[in-house]
Amino acid sequence: MSPIKKIWKFISSMQFAIILLVLLAIVCSIASFVTQGQTYAWYAQAYSERTAAVIVALHLDDAFHSWWFIVITGFLCVNLLLCNILKFPQNLRRMKNAGDAEKHLSVNGDVQAEDIREPEKLFAKLHFGKITKGSGEEYLFAAKNSAGYWGAWVCHLGILLVILGFGLGQMTKQTYTAYGVPGQSRAIGDTGYIITIDDFTIGHRADDTVEQYTSAITVRDAASGRSEQAEISVNNPASVFGLRFYQNSTGWAAKVHVDKDGEPLQDEIVCAGDYLRVKGKEDLVIYLNAFYPDYVLQEGVGPQTASSEIKNPAYLYSVYYMDRMLGMNALLEKEELKIDEYTVTFSEPQSFTLIQIKKDHFTWLALVGGLVTMLGLILAFYMQPAQMWALKQENGLWTIHGRSRKGGAIFREQFLEEATNGKE
Amino acid sequence: MGTEGMLRAENTLFTAAMIVYFAAMILYFVFISAKRDKLAKAAFAVQAAGFILHTAALVCRGIGAGRLPLTNQYEFATSFAWGLCLVSLIFVWKYKFQVLGAFSVPVVFLIIGYAAMQSKEVKELMPALRSGWLGFHVSTAIIAYGAFGVSFVLSIIFLMRDKMKDQSFMGRHVPDKEKLDMISYRSVALGLLFLTFTILTGAIWAERAWGSYWSWDPKETWSLVTWIIYAVYLHLRLRKGWKGRSAAIFAVIGFICVMFTYVGVNTLLPGMHSYG
Repeated sequence: MSPIKKIWKFISSMQFAIILLVLLAIVCSIASFVTQGQTYAWYAQAYSERTAAVIVALHLDDAFHSWWFIVITGFLCVNLLLCNILKFPQNLRRMKNAGDAEKHLSVNGDVQAEDIREPEKLFAKLHFGKITKGSGEEYLFAAKNSAGYWGAWVCHLGILLVILGFGLGQMTKQTYTAYGVPGQSRAIGDTGYIITIDDFTIGHRADDTVEQYTSAITVRDAASGRSEQAEISVNNPASVFGLRFYQNSTGWAAKVHVDKDGEPLQDEIVCAGDYLRVKGKEDLVIYLNAFYPDYVLQEGVGPQTASSEIKNPAYLYSVYYMDRMLGMNALLEKEELKIDEYTVTFSEPQSFTLIQIKKDHFTWLALVGGLVTMLGLILAFYMQPAQMWALKQENGLWTIHGRSRKGGAIFREQFLEEATNGKE
Repeated sequence: MGTEGMLRAENTLFTAAMIVYFAAMILYFVFISAKRDKLAKAAFAVQAAGFILHTAALVCRGIGAGRLPLTNQYEFATSFAWGLCLVSLIFVWKYKFQVLGAFSVPVVFLIIGYAAMQSKEVKELMPALRSGWLGFHVSTAIIAYGAFGVSFVLSIIFLMRDKMKDQSFMGRHVPDKEKLDMISYRSVALGLLFLTFTILTGAIWAERAWGSYWSWDPKETWSLVTWIIYAVYLHLRLRKGWKGRSAAIFAVIGFICVMFTYVGVNTLLPGMHSYG
């Protein structure tokens, strides 16, 4: 055999599939122990410099997008595809042969029983429905569950579709986030759409636990001016203009008021984690780090909130000038922050909504793949192909043969049990 | 009966189920150690009685909590033990294989014991868990885990089968290796089918709740690892020379992965499933 043929044979072999599956299981389990998507400094702090170097060198920081993970998955796809191509004619032949009485009558089955008086009853007991009879009734033949030959094939096809759908989705999907308080509008990336948050409510139960987050939104096509409204909540996304909107999370926002020389300059709602550039002095930035509704300062711990109720509101802020941090502190309501001629105050704490927006054209393909995989498993596990044939003996009784490649010992046992009952 | 009453009843029934499972375990032990055939049926009946009490406890929990009891460590552990007991009873009954009960009831007892150590407090569900998919996702996981538990027990018996002489008491009560392998295959098949359904329903739910049907969250990753291990098991069974012992070892590794996915991931690898 030529080397190319040898390689081809190996790549399409079950042995290669097992190696790839074991490899995938190993790398997935290792990767699950490494927090994904962090920086070298983060790993160095969490583990050690040496471990961090190994993690980054082996791409374990982003294992599921690394070249080696893609290569293993790629080989698995090739192996599955080749397996299915090679198995297709084989399965067709098997299916054809399974229903062909002539192919069975001249050979013995995997299990046999002699001197059976009423063979049809045994066929029925073992769930063989359609029985073919010989012209002179010298034989009976039945096959069942021949679709089961396609189980593994359909399952492989399903897995291929899942990987294809997921891979294409990863390559082409677009994700955006939009956050804000009612009344605020934001452009959705470069899609040409604008989202306006019309309302945001947090439903509480009697015990003050959160039951649901709900946002009412309007999405407007900037080019045509067309707009559509939708309501989203956790577990209830909405599709608008081909984009899918998900209620992701929530946080605190506050109104930041800036005076210049005692005169009002600027009023803006800023969400925690976001910042405000001071009008006319854009290098001066007020960053809202966090909001504490019931502020307490615990020694050794830092700023905390004693409850989720707004009893003693405080705002943790940082001030930057020309990208350099000037300071960081917590400011209580009505307290003022003075920076040269500017005075900054925080007020009106309120919840903001965080909405995730996604466009993935291939989710359906992965879903179809999943369903096809399920179908394949059902065919493989619960449609076990089997054949039974009965030949008339000289004494008028019947010899019955049975064969089930997948049923194995259990089929044989059932066959013999029913055959014994048939004799009695 | 009000909510409090239901939860009190659940507590009583849960304790009763534990005691009855313990009794079944003792009966199975005596059945094997004293070689008394008649005890096998009694042990099976007691196991079934424990299962009925356990089912009643879960029903009371569900009514008392006003939702499916499938959302925290305690609820999932007790449901996992329930699923394992259910699959074990079905396989014992279907294949007339009482020794399987003798090996699986201790595992059921261990898991329900783990459940007993968890907090039984009924908490309101966070918004992400308030979904119709919860029932499909977790209940299929329970059946899958239960079936894998039975395949684990069968594989252990398979690996011990060579030491049992055919004419001995155990040899007479344990099927030959070929049939053991076949029964184990059928329990893996049931488990893998339900695990696939669990992953599929989980993906659909994740897409609705988190906007991404697959995020390589540790629980997702380990479910995939478990799925892959059992896929390897199925392929090994088709290879000459690997069928039997090697496949049985993979079924054991598979169940270790199941246990890690359930307990290890929640405690060692926090992610989006940390509440589970």
